[in-house]
Amino acid sequence: MRRMMTALLALLSFNSVAQAADAVRFISCPIYRDTDAGRKSGCWLAEERETGRRFDITQSATKPDWSMAVLVEGRIAEKQDNACGATVLEPVRVSVLPDQACTRAMIPAEGFPGRRFVLPPRNIRPIHAPDPAPPPSYTARLFLIPFDYGRDFVVYQQSDWMLVNAAAYARAAGGRVLVTGYAETEPLRVSGQSLSEPASLAKSRAEMARLWLVSLGVPADRVHLDWKPNPAPLADPAFDGLTETSRRRVDIRIEP
Amino acid sequence: MKRSFVSALALAAAFTLPAGATWWSPGDGTPFPARYDDADADGVTRILLDGGPMETKGHPFFEAKGKYGRACVTCHQPSDGMSLSAETARIRWQETGGKDPLFAAIDGANCPDLAQGERASHSLLLDYGLFRIARPWPPVDHDGQKIEPDFTLEVVRDPTGCNASKVWGLAAPDPQVSVFRRPRPVANFKYILAMGFAVDPKVGKPLPIDPETGKMVSGNLMADRRVLSLEAQMRDAAHSHMGFDALTADDINRIRDFEDRLFVARQHDRVGGDLDAMGARGGPETLARSEPGRLGSQGTAVFSEFAAWEKIPADAVITPEQRAYRESVARGARVFRERMFLITDSAGINSPVGFGNPVRNSCVFCHNMSQMGMDVAPGQVDLGTTTMPFADPQPHLPLFRITCKGPPHPHYGRVIHTHDPGYALTTGRCEDVGKITLQTLRGLTGRAPYFASGSARDLRAVIDYYDRRYNIGYTEQEKRDLVNLMGAL
Ligand code: HEC
Ligand code: HEC
Repeated sequence: MRRMMTALLALLSFNSVAQAADAVRFISCPIYRDTDAGRKSGCWLAEERETGRRFDITQSATKPDWSMAVLVEGRIAEKQDNACGATVLEPVRVSVLPDQACTRAMIPAEGFPGRRFVLPPRNIRPIHAPDPAPPPSYTARLFLIPFDYGRDFVVYQQSDWMLVNAAAYARAAGGRVLVTGYAETEPLRVSGQSLSEPASLAKSRAEMARLWLVSLGVPADRVHLDWKPNPAPLADPAFDGLTETSRRRVDIRIEP
Repeated sequence: MKRSFVSALALAAAFTLPAGATWWSPGDGTPFPARYDDADADGVTRILLDGGPMETKGHPFFEAKGKYGRACVTCHQPSDGMSLSAETARIRWQETGGKDPLFAAIDGANCPDLAQGERASHSLLLDYGLFRIARPWPPVDHDGQKIEPDFTLEVVRDPTGCNASKVWGLAAPDPQVSVFRRPRPVANFKYILAMGFAVDPKVGKPLPIDPETGKMVSGNLMADRRVLSLEAQMRDAAHSHMGFDALTADDINRIRDFEDRLFVARQHDRVGGDLDAMGARGGPETLARSEPGRLGSQGTAVFSEFAAWEKIPADAVITPEQRAYRESVARGARVFRERMFLITDSAGINSPVGFGNPVRNSCVFCHNMSQMGMDVAPGQVDLGTTTMPFADPQPHLPLFRITCKGPPHPHYGRVIHTHDPGYALTTGRCEDVGKITLQTLRGLTGRAPYFASGSARDLRAVIDYYDRRYNIGYTEQEKRDLVNLMGAL
């Protein structure tokens, strides 16, 4: 209860526009709608069984696998474009649940256009044209790296970009880098299921973040590792207002 | 000089020079020209040696070294786009009665303990251009440490007998898995070694680091990425294919210098003419001059070298056949980039990275590097060429049963049947079974058959495989355009 209060508070303080009523969180089997507006333009839908509402979850950085269930966490978008024929969730995060098999479901476009792919703002620069190093002055900074439920995989065009930014700042600023991995070990009730992450995930997330930092040029002896279960939720732009997903994260604290 | 003279003659004559006629033996001594044109029935493949001609006499790529009488050039033939076609192997067999060092028992036979000198013992090389690749089992990592695999590997069948051999097989004192693979071309390494981004989105990690140098590398070498640098590759090749363990630092530098300077691409088509004519930029010259490792979607579109042929002026002075060919190649490049289909159940693309399964895209999703059509990120992807149920029937190959001990494979489940576990033989991970590193798509014509296990006998068979694999539904014209494009690369 107390945790929820904190979360709610954090949420409200971060994004006063988001109403609790807009929040959506459920487990279901994904449906692929075969729209074609060029590359990566297919639609991903999922139905909240509790209410019968069908949502468009395409905007998640992680897309579903049609043979596995998904945990969907999002907000009903203010702007609805009906490109996929369901209520758009945005922001939205999808986590694939490989242990829960689904029957593959693909439906035709039925006249829905889908969306043309646009390069998301969180994308890593190529080596031949890197971002400029972050300018001084350097102060202590905290970088939060989100993870999908149950995984230590670094999410493409989302968390990878954040790790690259953290590494760039750590390289420029110097000093200590404290990496703390977290896992949401406390059971979470969603769609009648109890979800909880293994405690070991906190460590493997921390190690994954360290691998990125060190490979990207942060001296290994400056990186200190820690891991803990069940952090308090945190409002941060890294979570796009989905503060309820923030307990599955790594904190990178850079202390010049 | 003699060699290019022969090629030029053949070109002038009726294009009848059979592939393999220009066999390059170890110790041949012919200087390697700055521009090597190899003519075949359909046109010319050109090799540029950027920086000028090179003496091959005494050069470690060209001189026989080691127990088997082979040189690197034995399997990386200039007239085959620096790879080796199955047809060339057959011609060589006929010409030498099977005596050429190419057929050395160690990997030029289906298994070293078969009766040598008999065609049947070399059928995989002669029919499919395949060499035996023996990988240690369990695998060892790049630091030489044993890896504990998360799957078990059993032999379901093995027509070569090699995996059951007491000397060469899984029960041998040094247990080995034998798989059978095509040689990958030795050229265009500027691109193969290029790093576009510091990270590999497919695995959600930074690029691999070569333990020998401590530096990041592209991770794009060999079907199974068992080496991370050309230097490590040379030692591996000299040991396994040549029975030679004494490459000197000088040998390594000289091979490296040669490899770095080689660019191969199709230059001329019998019907279509020069591939860099009328504004097109085919041929190896463009390769030598372009920046490597760029993503086609963010810069020069992949195979837009032929964009100028999309709108050939009505009054252009070319034959109708030439026009038809050039327009077809240009359309083929569009089809390659723009004709969408659903990519499904291909680990490396559909998992673990969150592109989705399925994901709608085109050939260029995987073959995404400008000019080269390989993968900018390390290209370990399971296309299904070696793994059931997607592999075409290959009764001549061994078949392994893989059982995942940990989590099941994301697309195949716990039990997988494969002719070549590919990248999993390097990592020991069940999720990597069937992943094969994408090759470059340049200089394709000289090196049939295609795919790691030679399962596609020609370029049309490649396109037909994709059409089946992803249920694409290409029209006959789209297929012909793609084949013409592939042939023009
Ligand atoms: C007996 C035939 C044979 C000989 C001799 C041989 N190779 Fe190869 N080469 C192959 C095969 C087969 C492969 C593909 C192996 C694989 O993917 O597992 C290959 C792959 C390569 C590659 C990788 C290219 C890429 O893009 O991944 C390089 C580089 C190479 N060889 C260089 C050499 C050099 C240098 C020598 C001499 C020291 C040599 N080879 C000798 C058969 C041979
Ligand atoms: C899902 C990723 C993916 C897509 C999409 C894809 N390829 Fe490939 N391609 C690969 C991989 C992986 C290999 C190597 C497989 C092997 O060697 O067995 C390959 C190999 C090839 C080769 C063989 C090269 C050689 O030297 O043997 C050709 C030609 C080719 N692809 C053409 C195409 C064309 C044409 C398309 C579109 C119809 C296409 N590819 C779509 C992944 C892909």
